[in-house]
Amino acid sequence: MGDYEPVLLRNVGVEGAATIGVYKKRGGYRALAKALKMTPDEVVEEVKAAALRGRGGAGFPAGVKWGFLPKDRDVTYLCVNGDESEPPTFSNRVLMENDPHQLIEGTIISAYATQSSIAYVYLRVEFHELFHILQRAIDEAYAAGYLGKNILGSGYDLECYIHRGAGAYICGEETGLIESIEGKRGWPRNKPPFPAVEGLFHKPTVVNNVETLCNVPHIIERGAGWFTGIGPPGSSGPKLFCVCGPVNRPGCYEGPMTITVRDLIYGDAYGQGMIGDRKVKAVLPGGISMGILTGDELDMKMDFADPAEYGLLGLGTAAAVVVSEDTDIRVVLRSIAQFFAHESCGQCTQCREGTSWMYKIARRIAAGEGGPGDLEVMYETAGNLGMMPGLSICGLSDGAAFPIRTLIEKFRGELEQHVREAPDEIEQRSPSTVRS
Amino acid sequence: MPKIEIDGIEVECRDGITVLQAALEAGWSVPHYCYHPGLSVVASCRLCLMEMQMPSPKGGGMEWSSKLVPSCQVPVKNGLVVRFASDQVKRNQRRVMEFLLLNHPLDCPVCDQAGECLLQDYSYEFGDPTSRMRDEKHKSPKKDIGPRTLLYSDRCVLCTRCVRFTREITGTHDLCVTHRGSENEIDVFPGKALDNPLQGNVVDLCPVGALLDKDFLFKQRVWFLKRTKSICPGCSTGCAVSVDSNEGVVYRLKPRYNPGVNDWWMCDEGRFGWKYMHDANRITAPVIRRGGVTGTPPWDSVPEIVDARLRAVIEAHGPDKVAVVLSPMMACEEAWLLVRFLRSVASEATLVLGPVPIQGQLQMFPVGSTGDAVRFTIRREKCPNRRGVETIIAETGGPTLSFEVFCEQATAGAFAAAWIVGGYPEPWVTKDFAKAVGQLEFVVAQDLFPNEVTEVATLVLPACGFAQREGSFMNFGGRIQPFDRAIAPPDGAKGDGQYLYELAGFTGLYSGRAVREMMAQEIHLFSMVKEAPPMPVHQH
Amino acid sequence: MAWPTIDRQSPVTDSDAPPLLSDEVKAKIRSFFERYETRRAALLPALHVVQESLGYISWRAMDEVATVLDIPASEVFDVVTFYTHYWTKPRGKKTIVVCRSITCELMGAGVLLEAFKRHLGVGEGETTPDGAYSLATEECLAQCDHAPCVLINEKKHGRVKPDDVPALLADPDNDKLEVPRSDLYDPVLGEDATTRPRGGERKG
Ligand SMILES: Cc1cc2nc3c(=O)[nH]c(=O)nc-3n(C[C@H](O)[C@H](O)[C@H](O)COP(=O)(O)O)c2cc1C
Ligand code: SF4
Ligand code: SF4
Ligand code: FES
Ligand code: FES
Repeated sequence: MGDYEPVLLRNVGVEGAATIGVYKKRGGYRALAKALKMTPDEVVEEVKAAALRGRGGAGFPAGVKWGFLPKDRDVTYLCVNGDESEPPTFSNRVLMENDPHQLIEGTIISAYATQSSIAYVYLRVEFHELFHILQRAIDEAYAAGYLGKNILGSGYDLECYIHRGAGAYICGEETGLIESIEGKRGWPRNKPPFPAVEGLFHKPTVVNNVETLCNVPHIIERGAGWFTGIGPPGSSGPKLFCVCGPVNRPGCYEGPMTITVRDLIYGDAYGQGMIGDRKVKAVLPGGISMGILTGDELDMKMDFADPAEYGLLGLGTAAAVVVSEDTDIRVVLRSIAQFFAHESCGQCTQCREGTSWMYKIARRIAAGEGGPGDLEVMYETAGNLGMMPGLSICGLSDGAAFPIRTLIEKFRGELEQHVREAPDEIEQRSPSTVRS
Repeated sequence: MPKIEIDGIEVECRDGITVLQAALEAGWSVPHYCYHPGLSVVASCRLCLMEMQMPSPKGGGMEWSSKLVPSCQVPVKNGLVVRFASDQVKRNQRRVMEFLLLNHPLDCPVCDQAGECLLQDYSYEFGDPTSRMRDEKHKSPKKDIGPRTLLYSDRCVLCTRCVRFTREITGTHDLCVTHRGSENEIDVFPGKALDNPLQGNVVDLCPVGALLDKDFLFKQRVWFLKRTKSICPGCSTGCAVSVDSNEGVVYRLKPRYNPGVNDWWMCDEGRFGWKYMHDANRITAPVIRRGGVTGTPPWDSVPEIVDARLRAVIEAHGPDKVAVVLSPMMACEEAWLLVRFLRSVASEATLVLGPVPIQGQLQMFPVGSTGDAVRFTIRREKCPNRRGVETIIAETGGPTLSFEVFCEQATAGAFAAAWIVGGYPEPWVTKDFAKAVGQLEFVVAQDLFPNEVTEVATLVLPACGFAQREGSFMNFGGRIQPFDRAIAPPDGAKGDGQYLYELAGFTGLYSGRAVREMMAQEIHLFSMVKEAPPMPVHQH
Repeated sequence: MAWPTIDRQSPVTDSDAPPLLSDEVKAKIRSFFERYETRRAALLPALHVVQESLGYISWRAMDEVATVLDIPASEVFDVVTFYTHYWTKPRGKKTIVVCRSITCELMGAGVLLEAFKRHLGVGEGETTPDGAYSLATEECLAQCDHAPCVLINEKKHGRVKPDDVPALLADPDNDKLEVPRSDLYDPVLGEDATTRPRGGERKG
């Protein structure tokens, strides 16, 4: 993949790329000018033709989603989902930190296509530096006439506001996000109605991920044909992948969706192998919600279709955390269970009670106090809270269920040793033993 | 009327309801916590899930969707096919029950809700007998959230019914959900206690024993209680209520579903306004005063005494010197019987409607709402039957006077005898009225408590509280609503309806319904009695 | 019952005290109104501004925010406790947040957290007696490529080793950002914008 020419990350590492001058010098805001000469419907059609699938986790085609907006609407809102809280995902951060104008341009074009009057960028609050960077970029865009009234003389008006979250993973879920903008607790809404019909302030609303929107200017500029030419059918376009954990070069990389998990860990353009040549014990390749792979399943392709073949929920955020052979699998189990117990919003019975029960068990197993039956109860509980669609209001419970189910399935042998044998606590390792 | 299919059986259902409501009304037993027909749908307890047929993604007809859907959220639509009788649905119900009981203290023996708890009922019907949790339970505190209400957080299933009530019905926003996930709790903002005028409803709404009424706390196990259909006499709204009593003692009032009047709710004033009935100061036996001597006449001598004294007055002063002061606390039937009797003795008797207590402001909820947005109203007229009594006076015809004019004329000596009905829980006799009564030669006072009138009356008859009587009230909007007798009159007393019935010349037992039928012959309006319909099935 | 009843009827806000929110803070909050269809929607920004100004969000502050937005105080309580970023107790001038999610955990966050506890002499959720630091953990901060990572106020620190902790704590600029700050959420304080007071100090 060494010859892949980055598109989304092309400005990363370029001095001053976060400023409007440099961004424009490198071709920025040309797509916007082009889009504003098209009709909104033409822009929607182009994005539809590109089959741009959402990068936020669900993979829903963006153009199709825009097409769900009711024809006779007065007000439309666009929400940019920059909540990025799924461990171990940081690609949105990389995009916004290094190239905020790319997102702003994508947002303006998408807002124009959907005829939105306000774009809210929902940023998780922990992105402090990023907030300052992005706000400055937005100010620059206003000053340059890309935002505000009568953008580039087109007659189209758009306001763009950052709305900072306050520490809740669930606000990344699109309706939790909407509630949070409305000043409420981020309790996801029942669907239908979908946001496209009734969203923010009960108005038709589009929610898209940062990376999804960053693709839009390139589609407009280079055409849908260019986009579909990258990657396999059904998984077209450039994609960001994160890899982290004990790999030599953790980071966020761009490529087509033809790469495998192995490429991501070992490829020269990617993770460049494991620290100290440790063996891979497991990988959570799509964020932790999608499920786990063993070290023998590294041939999984990082596209929208292949993860299902490995019992995973999907491609998710395409962010992989690698677990090395010297890690006790119970650490992984406990960490995952803790995350979801902490982040469940607590509306649905299954998710509220199930995640906290699983965490109690996982914590006990990790403390060496696991007993017979624990794995079964946990396995079943995971099934009862999210392995079947519809059990709960949003996808968090499925995301909590898949990693735990797949982990117990794939690492049952190791776990059983720990729950059968005498108490054996996990040894705390220092980072220095991990990274030289 | 849409037709849907539930478990292979065709069910015809009302328009505009959800599948859950339709299933419950058709006799299915579907567990549910967060759904309440009077509140918005949140579909969060995930207990009512069902399977539904949806268009096949492959095209070509309908097939069972692999997804479970909340039946409380799906509106009925002609041709909809759903099922509850499936392994997946049952399994989900079992598991949700297990989840809900994980952190529950299982303190049913000391819980007030025992016997009417949906956690008990459902776990028996839909759950598994044992808990598989070995870990420590999350303990939540008990909170004193208001002057009348306690919250046992550890029993809460977080259905949010109570929170939605204070947001959607009262608009007072007293309650809220705090924290997140398994730490979620119901709470109030400190110092802004739950004390809105409708707050008692949250106790009724709570499907478990988390919200409890301090007044009722530990007073009575609910399975000993007898429920009687009644109408609240607290104001002219006329909320349908049930009086819960045991062995002649009232323990609590609960609202009864009554669409268009009180829906599912009632106010605290009415809910806690019944205690006067058990007041030790009540008049419980007839009293007669003859030449400075006071005695207790036997009940069966009362008609004779009244008849003889009234005739004497008429003979001495004429048939137009008799008046009857009716009370807006009376049932329509009672008023009709009394008027009928008095006019039979004194054909020119003047009919007077006694004082109508007006208090405070019209209170509409949600607070600040108007028009169609109003969900509940507490009226200023603190009596149940002004309209009913007025109707009877108007339809009967003959001489009538307003209360004020009657007072003036009686003070001036225009009357010689009067039958005066009170029955107000609060003191009601004004100085002017006492003075007017002082001018009369013969007074029958029918009342709950001793006052300036009963002190001077020749004959005092005990009146009963609403739960001790039966009949009907006509509410502010002209709706005639029947109510039943919940408890017997105090020892020594006799129901007002019963002695008025005897006085009017009937024999046997007084029955509100039978009297109403007679009344309807004369006053057609009384054939249009409106019973509150049975509650559309849902729990609590 | 085995545990006592919490009194929720008595007010905890001290109603005689002078207002907690300064005019600047209130003006800042109001400046968000025009961005949304409802005032209520300004709640999250409002709470950020209040926390910037007071260091944490007390009962009294919740009540006053409710008044500014014209919403019930219970709704503010509801929201404040839902989000982990809002503190309802006083905290130190600087808050150290150690990531505890999977990548950081694999890269040694557990040992790192212990090191912070040892050097600060406090546990999670606690504040040093001199009011300099509060210590907390959070789920993934989306800096997993720099695991294990830490936030000191707004400033992120990556690949922190336990041995780095003393030097990090001793550095007075450990919360100083390298990028210019936007004052969008700041109450106007008229001070050097890169170092703002935190903690229980009352302003205005
Ligand atoms: C629990 C949960 C958390 C989510 N978090 C995020 C997130 O942080 N960022 C994001 O873009 N999408 C997130 N999503 C997905 C969003 O709901 C939504 O699908 C997405 O923002 C749509 O944008 P896209 O179509 O461009 O991918 C989350 C979903 C769930 C169920
Ligand atoms: S599934 Fe979990 S996170 Fe999602 S709405 Fe339900 S309780 Fe909240
Ligand atoms: S207190 Fe009762 S009504 Fe309120 S949420 Fe809990 S269970 Fe539901
Ligand atoms: S989800 Fe339907 S009753 Fe709660
Ligand atoms: S796991 Fe620590 S930043 Fe993601």
